[in-house]
Amino acid sequence: MSEQDRPPLFRTWRKAYLFAIVLFAIEVALLYAFTLRFS
Amino acid sequence: MNRIDYIVLVATILAIPLYGLWRTWNHPNLREYLKGDATIRWGTIGLSVLATQAGPITFLSMPGQAYESGIGFIQNYFGQPFALIVVCAIFVPIYQRLKVYTAYEYLGQRFDRKTRLLGAFLFLIQRGIAAGITIYAPAIILSALLGWDLNLTIWLAGGFVIAYTVVGGTKIVSLTQRYQILVILVGMALAFGIAVYRLPADLSFSGALSIAGKMGKLQAVDFSVDPSRRYTFWSGILGGFFLSLSYFGADQSQVQRYLAGGSLRASRIGLLFNAIIKVPMQFLILLLGAMVFLFYQFEKPPMFFNQPTYQRAIERGHGPQLTALQTQFDDVFARKRETIQAMSSASAETSPALTAQVRALDAEARGIRDNTRKILEEAGANPKGKDSDYVFITFVLHHLPHGVVGLLVAVIFCATMSATSAVLNALGSTTAVDLYRPLIRPNASDHHYVIATKVLTAAWGLVAIAVASFASLVENLIEAGNILGSVFYGSILGLFLVAFFMRTVRGSAVFFAAVIAQTLVLVLFFTSNIGYLWYNVIGCIAVLLFAWILQWTVFRNSRPATVG
Repeated sequence: MSEQDRPPLFRTWRKAYLFAIVLFAIEVALLYAFTLRFS
Repeated sequence: MNRIDYIVLVATILAIPLYGLWRTWNHPNLREYLKGDATIRWGTIGLSVLATQAGPITFLSMPGQAYESGIGFIQNYFGQPFALIVVCAIFVPIYQRLKVYTAYEYLGQRFDRKTRLLGAFLFLIQRGIAAGITIYAPAIILSALLGWDLNLTIWLAGGFVIAYTVVGGTKIVSLTQRYQILVILVGMALAFGIAVYRLPADLSFSGALSIAGKMGKLQAVDFSVDPSRRYTFWSGILGGFFLSLSYFGADQSQVQRYLAGGSLRASRIGLLFNAIIKVPMQFLILLLGAMVFLFYQFEKPPMFFNQPTYQRAIERGHGPQLTALQTQFDDVFARKRETIQAMSSASAETSPALTAQVRALDAEARGIRDNTRKILEEAGANPKGKDSDYVFITFVLHHLPHGVVGLLVAVIFCATMSATSAVLNALGSTTAVDLYRPLIRPNASDHHYVIATKVLTAAWGLVAIAVASFASLVENLIEAGNILGSVFYGSILGLFLVAFFMRTVRGSAVFFAAVIAQTLVLVLFFTSNIGYLWYNVIGCIAVLLFAWILQWTVFRNSRPATVG
């Protein structure tokens, strides 16, 4: 199966970027919770 | 290190490049040599981008950074996901559509030849020197602690990288980086597990984190707007975005990684993988440093981690002063350990007082270490770099079991080789594609350019080794490398931002704008005390501003009626 034939991971790239930003926001929120818990 | 460690070390650092050579042992055309082939998928691209950025300094210095100042450094990476999204959305589609080999080739297509040459020239100067530093920095630390000859260590790391990068080109770089970063991650995970395991048996992981937090090592996020604070959420988002955009968008050593394979989809997913994985990875490396810090609250650390320097000062007659400091240090350590043990079982009422006490003792210990450094400098023992750079490797060499020690030293070599191979590959490609082909041999055969790129890659490798060999003549070279990068990055990014976003500006205006901006940055560098990270911002904004002014004044008539 060639690269082009593979099913897309995301319907649009805009959704992929949004997904990355949401994950990053979750990471920062977890880091902040970690800071509050242990500082 | 014993025989088992050496076997693990040699097997690890040899096996990956040999496997890469076996997989890439053919006669590629120029496109395959510079961009790899279609077998390079997003996973390889993602790991290759990760490995290029995470050089040996990351794995040697980061844990030391957390040991010294806590894990707040993580915030420096907060701008990176946004920068990577901009690179995915704007830079990658243009590079892929135009089928360029180098980022600077795009400048030639958008503007003119002289702007392309300027971009390539600025990159070559900066990265040529940086490649030497990437080899030198771990070599000086490993040679000092293991008693190896410095030049032999430099040649061992550098010579091997030159050989396989020259033979295999981009494909071998991406392929070896995939396995090298996996070895690095496994090694760091093992070190983390052992650091936690070696803590006192009656201390839970949560209890350990609680103590490290009370000692001020676990403040990961700081929303303060106080400009005197070194690492905050805001400086990380803004400064990190700017630096990452320069690095991922305009530095050929990264551009060549994500253009490998030639698929837009693979490039984008590989970069988005980095946008997601970078912060957790750096967090775990910094947390490892915090665990090493905690370990050394129960196990007495050396007063100065760079022991060869310390011993040199004793030989030069500063023994009595250092012995006096050592006595003070031992006393503070013993009192601190008792207080921490009391703290771990303290009630809510007594805990704040004990926390204040342990922080005061920690500050006292740090003061003694500062005084030690002053004595070493007075003795002319030449303590190169920060002592914190020696913390993690000291922990590895003295407290990890044999076999794992060899693996962790291999981690440092793998990081050196993966970062250096990517840079040499980019330097050779840029010199061949942007300088040699247009200026010296415009119409040669494909095979000729492959040979030329190989020769130029080898030549840059020798330059890097020469820089590494003479690097000891410069004080605090790692800092010098960062300054050098910041001095040139702003102008390079400015060239690309004008190309993408100021469609009315043409070649001559942006070329002279970049020359003026670069001169301005160099003048500021030699005459002012501005923090070096600001040179990125100043250089970039100056290019944008001067390009606009020049286009609408001096080069007004050179603007075409319609622009695409």
